[in-house]
Amino acid sequence: MSWTGDSAAGTGQARRGPADLDLNNLDDGRREAEMAMETVKDQNEMAALKTGHEPAGEGLLTLEQARAKLDGKTGKKYWRSLDELADTPAFHEMVQREFPTEAAEWIDPVTRRGFLKVMGASLALAGLSGCTKQPDEQIYPYIKQPEDLVLGRPVYFATAFPFPTGAIPLLVKSDAYRPIKLDGNPEHPFNRGTCDIITQATLLDMYDPDRSQRPLYRGEVRPFIEFVAAFRAMAADKKATGGQGLYILSDTVTSPTLAAQWKKAQKNFPQAKWLQWDPVNRDSWYTASKTAFGDYYDAQYRLEGADVILSLDADFLSGIAHPGFLKLAADYANRRKLLPTPSNPNPEINRLYAVESTPSTTGFKADNRMAIKASEVAGFAASVAAALGVAGAQADASWSSGPRQKFLSAIVADLKANGGKSAVIPGDQQSPAVHLAAIAINQALGNAGKTVVYTETVNPMPAIQGDDIKTLVADMQAGKVDWLVILNANPVYNCPADLNFEQAMGRVNTIVHLGSHVDETALGAHWHINNAHYLESWSDARAYDGTVSVVQPMIDPLYGGKTTQEIIQSLLDDPDMSGYDAVRTNWIGSLPGADKDFAWRKVLHDGFITDTAFQPKTVTAKTGSLSGTPAASAAGTLEVVFRPDPNVYDGRYANVGWLQEIPKPIVSMSWDNAALMSYETRGRLGLAEEDVIEIELNGRKVSAPVFSVPGHPDDMLSLALGYGRQNAGRVGSGPGFNAYLLRTSAALLFAGGAKITKTGKTYPLAVTKSHYTDHRSVFAGGDGSGTHSLEGNEALGRGIVRYATVADFKQHPDFAHDENIPEDPKPNETLFANWRYDKNAWGMAIDMNSCVGCNACIAACYAENNIAVVGKHQTKTGRIMQWIRIDTYFEGDLDAPRAHFQPMTCQQCENAPCEQVCPVGATIHSPEGLNVMVYNRCVGVRYCSNNCPYKVRKFNFLLFSDFTTPSLKLMRNPDVTVRSRGVMEKCTYCTQRIIAAKIAADKQNRDIRDGEIVTACQQTCPTGAIVFGNINDKQSRVAKLKAQQRNYGVLADLNVRPRTTYIAEVINPNPDLDEAQIQSAPVNS
Amino acid sequence: MATIPESPVNDPMLDPITGENLVIAPGHTFKSVTEEVSRIVLTGHTPLGWYFGFALAGSIVIMLLTAISWLVLKGVGIWGLDIPVAWGFAIINFVWWIGIGHAGTLISAFLLLFKQQWRNSINRFAEAMTIFAVICAALFPLIHVGRPWLGYWLIPYPNSMNVWPNFRSPLLWDVFAVSTYGIISVVFWYIGMVPDMGTMRDRCKSKVGQYIYGLLSVGWRGSVRHWMRYESACLLLAGLATPLVLSVHSVISFDFAVAILPGWHTAIFPPYFVAGAIYSGFAMVITLAVPIRKWYHLEDLITLRHLDNMGKVMLATGLIIAYGYAMDVFMAWFSASRFEYFMIWNRMFGPIGWAYWVLITCNIVLPQLLWLRKFRTNPTLLFLISLVINTGMWFERFVIIVVSLTRDFLPSSWGTYKATRWDYMTLGGTLGLFTALFFLFVRFLPMIPMSELRVLLPQSKIRPKAEPLEAGD
Repeated sequence: MSWTGDSAAGTGQARRGPADLDLNNLDDGRREAEMAMETVKDQNEMAALKTGHEPAGEGLLTLEQARAKLDGKTGKKYWRSLDELADTPAFHEMVQREFPTEAAEWIDPVTRRGFLKVMGASLALAGLSGCTKQPDEQIYPYIKQPEDLVLGRPVYFATAFPFPTGAIPLLVKSDAYRPIKLDGNPEHPFNRGTCDIITQATLLDMYDPDRSQRPLYRGEVRPFIEFVAAFRAMAADKKATGGQGLYILSDTVTSPTLAAQWKKAQKNFPQAKWLQWDPVNRDSWYTASKTAFGDYYDAQYRLEGADVILSLDADFLSGIAHPGFLKLAADYANRRKLLPTPSNPNPEINRLYAVESTPSTTGFKADNRMAIKASEVAGFAASVAAALGVAGAQADASWSSGPRQKFLSAIVADLKANGGKSAVIPGDQQSPAVHLAAIAINQALGNAGKTVVYTETVNPMPAIQGDDIKTLVADMQAGKVDWLVILNANPVYNCPADLNFEQAMGRVNTIVHLGSHVDETALGAHWHINNAHYLESWSDARAYDGTVSVVQPMIDPLYGGKTTQEIIQSLLDDPDMSGYDAVRTNWIGSLPGADKDFAWRKVLHDGFITDTAFQPKTVTAKTGSLSGTPAASAAGTLEVVFRPDPNVYDGRYANVGWLQEIPKPIVSMSWDNAALMSYETRGRLGLAEEDVIEIELNGRKVSAPVFSVPGHPDDMLSLALGYGRQNAGRVGSGPGFNAYLLRTSAALLFAGGAKITKTGKTYPLAVTKSHYTDHRSVFAGGDGSGTHSLEGNEALGRGIVRYATVADFKQHPDFAHDENIPEDPKPNETLFANWRYDKNAWGMAIDMNSCVGCNACIAACYAENNIAVVGKHQTKTGRIMQWIRIDTYFEGDLDAPRAHFQPMTCQQCENAPCEQVCPVGATIHSPEGLNVMVYNRCVGVRYCSNNCPYKVRKFNFLLFSDFTTPSLKLMRNPDVTVRSRGVMEKCTYCTQRIIAAKIAADKQNRDIRDGEIVTACQQTCPTGAIVFGNINDKQSRVAKLKAQQRNYGVLADLNVRPRTTYIAEVINPNPDLDEAQIQSAPVNS
Repeated sequence: MATIPESPVNDPMLDPITGENLVIAPGHTFKSVTEEVSRIVLTGHTPLGWYFGFALAGSIVIMLLTAISWLVLKGVGIWGLDIPVAWGFAIINFVWWIGIGHAGTLISAFLLLFKQQWRNSINRFAEAMTIFAVICAALFPLIHVGRPWLGYWLIPYPNSMNVWPNFRSPLLWDVFAVSTYGIISVVFWYIGMVPDMGTMRDRCKSKVGQYIYGLLSVGWRGSVRHWMRYESACLLLAGLATPLVLSVHSVISFDFAVAILPGWHTAIFPPYFVAGAIYSGFAMVITLAVPIRKWYHLEDLITLRHLDNMGKVMLATGLIIAYGYAMDVFMAWFSASRFEYFMIWNRMFGPIGWAYWVLITCNIVLPQLLWLRKFRTNPTLLFLISLVINTGMWFERFVIIVVSLTRDFLPSSWGTYKATRWDYMTLGGTLGLFTALFFLFVRFLPMIPMSELRVLLPQSKIRPKAEPLEAGD
């Protein structure tokens, strides 16, 4: 059954329509193939264009010819002949002509399969996986309703998102067996319920209508069984030679079960090779680990015990691209909350130093930050190591004088004073030398074993992927590769440009590609197998702390996709073993207790195996492993740095609309990448923003638009990978430029010696936040600098952002209410009567010290509230629909600014300006203090938005919501209206969650408990910066937060009385490095 | 003429006593006035120019209909609106047209109460202009909403759901203000036309014309009783309409003044908007009057005196709005509000600062030429100045609405605004609609009130000493 897993035998009865009559006798797989032909035809043509092959076609057979051929034949023979005819493209033509063109849609395989699965789930899988989905249209009612299905009441299942840097454990909200929201697993020790932007957005990835839906052979639809036959025949052949010529190229392996399967397979095929390639990988760390420790280890940083943290170009606060992000961010933020508790009345703040190249939220959260070129980080790290007396470390000359020396020595002194209580974190986008230096420094400081521990790797098959891909291409060129199985990798798009993977593919006899989309690599492969999404498949993975997490299907594969395990399993002796059995077999033996089945059920319930986190290993770095620092690129030359995109990562999520649209941190840009550079460099090169330049690096060229970023090092270009896709889908194909075209195997991270030329063209960029420099004189309200951000200056002057240093905070705990700041007017200074809130009064407090600007809340809000994606043009026009945004203000000189991140959403004003001006009463005040929107009543005059001082209301200027794509309908949260055009919408503190909690509480005749309601943004926030609750309850967390002296309302001086308040920042810069720009409080002119 | 004493002034168009231009050229009789006005309507030969002009305006109306159809199909997103600038051309045009619509009622009602008889020859088409401007204006609130088919929800009508509009919202006040103003203007216009309708009925040669004008004249026979009731009705309506002149634009200004947005939230808006409305209204009257008196040879009836007076009104109201602009700037400093201060700075020097200087030039600098009598009495120059003022007043609303919205309280939400072709098509389209309606008006209705004009003639003056009337009456 597993090989014919989706074969829909017997579903003929479930379908209606004219197609039934004539196609009944065809076997199901074949029929499916024909239905798909129309869509596949385009892909054929594309494939032909791409590869130069002719689309496969052996002479077209017209209807007349077919009739002629069949003339005189009768009975069974007639039908068998037609069946045979179906193999030719001519037959497809005939099918098309015989039936309306919509025929393919009428018999949507989703519908048919979905029906079967609803029935199947009720019988076989109830309570275990419950993996099915509702049909789009009603076919048959339930005869017996599945026991656990109560329509309207969601159920939750645990699973995990396998990501190269470690799995993200998830709790999936499922409505009528459709996963509709992904959140962190609150019981999992690694993330404690938090999540991030990419993980949130993989939901849309699963429902992506552009996903590959059928196996293809040379662009033609084939049943999966045909591939299985071919693959098993190959395996049987190869057994004799031990698998000679069988190569497997996968993305980073995350599944221990898969690794175990491969280990078994290697017994049969010792000569076969498994290679891994992800363009963003951990090569530097693994190389350093191998050099220092002699084996591959992972470093776990325990920031709860770190008073001083030094980031060596490590962006550990912005997303899961950095291994262990969720835990690192949580631990970092817990040391910044400064919330006294009975056990800890005087919490101490930590101090973060960042030395970084491409500006990141980590750098801007740092108390002291220095932007240097990527190639200079190694010199800095070596200098720190040398100053700490690490044997073999060579100080770099550029750090021995001037402000750099001052910066270095202050950090060194601080680290020395905090030996054993500090952590030095190297970035994965840095060279092995930096990682080696970090290992040596942590060891010299005595951090190893305390704040830094080394464990086995999360990746069960650690490999230097840069070497893997080189080996593979060399073998391909040498003709050694007979069968190449590409599992979820897209090397045609992202392989180092010098290797020319596409050309090497021509020398491989058979290429199999398993992938979620018919992407660049799929077009060049012979076989393409549609991949099941992780939400549709059985697998396992380790979170970065090592805890084994089970990947369970939330829904049967929408398009009958196959998993990596299924492919590899067919190399084994028991090829039909299902993914479920493979995972279960792999772990059940090691589960605790006598009743293994019970233990396994608990694992499935929890989503992870308890107490499987890695135990720290006692390892010591070899002394003298630190030798030779790679030279920094010469001064005055342009350096190019490649970075994974914070949203689309390495390009694999390019077709996810949410990720394209959500503005990236720091740059506030959506839908594109750009050549990022400093203001100074841009000015010196005589470029304007949105100018298109041609970047030339070692003879390779790419054109990119220019964009300047505050705090970017001079003479350096930052290029985000993952854009310029050709075959990503309707969303992902097109935007941005392909930085991989410049990336060679010798310089995967950064490279010097780039040249740029202005092309004279411009390219519009959708930047959601204006950025002006403040050219106002002091008289006009400015600071006369000409180099500061206008928005930043105004935000500070208006008291929108308030912060103090630790020293100031200790002296003036109420600095956020400085006499210079306009303060909240008295509650009675209003014409309108005040509202009374007898029972619940919902409010929110946002800790600006904790917010790291990672955008996870935005993605959560998109998923929870069915927010529409509007596209690049509309985003650029200013019509992005996000209900919550991260306002980023830059303070000080834009070449070395300080940044403040402020999540901004509807403030639920008690004295709301929007409510007064709505002519039809479509936005009104609820008895619990929410500003609620009545979409049905909204006429769309937009006055409320004009009168909203926070501009958090979003208007459906056009029909932004997708009401037609079937798969997207399945994804929507049924508790939230999908807004049509012409209505205003905004954040309502997730009112649907409030109502759900109220109903639950009412049923039990009790009050709502504190913490029972969490908003989507709060639930996902990795740092716990957002707290929601009842402010009438003085014991609630939110009330306690709001009782702090640092609590203030943004624009509260307008007498709008916002329900959302902010906890002012307290920063902890090194007093020795304290610059004049730090002011304790904003000034009001 | 013989009765007028000798005077040193030789120009027959100048009043020998005051030295001012005459309201009506000398030598006219009841008959000649009636003849001159009614011939335009009753002529059997519609001028080719009329056909040409009407076709041109009509094609622009078709463009407007296209733009509106597309708007209803696609949504207001076809315009350049965004967040933060959620109001754009539609509201600018609305306020602009409503402002233009002020002159009519002001001339017909306000000046009637103040017994400014010079108004008589221009009040009819000024009122027509008002009605057409109100039609153009009323179009915008209807089409600018996100779901135009639900626009009627702004009207307080009893419904089964017991849902009422929000009476705190200035937009609702707009509905009342504009609809009241529209109704009163139409009624006043029509009542004022009744005696002339009688004249037209009597003079019309065609059966259809007689029938229609007969219907419109509602049995007017010119009896003393009719005249008495007519006069009372006019006075009463004038009494009703006069406060409206002040209230309509005051209410419109509340759309902005009630909001908390810097640049909108200011107490000076009601008088300043009314002055601005009268300013632009008179400018539009001149824009229309100058070509009309030229094309239809009505220089005798719409004399330089009218142009001169309207120039003075424009000068006065222009100075009032100049005061308003000055107060904006002063209050930005005096209020010590950072938001207000920034708003003024942004208005002057921000990314759309040029619009502010266009408005200052058009509304304040150039109209100062009206201090010179030469500019007030030269139709061509006055026409040019009126165009400048109407441009300036459009920019005033642009600056107030759009520029204030682009950069408000929270710097992170600052944005910009760029009108699309649909915006321009709608603005241009209403100009076409207005023109087309005006073409119909001048063709089918007496554009100058004959009955009221006759009152201005020396013959109608009741003199203490009975003098023989001139022959030909």
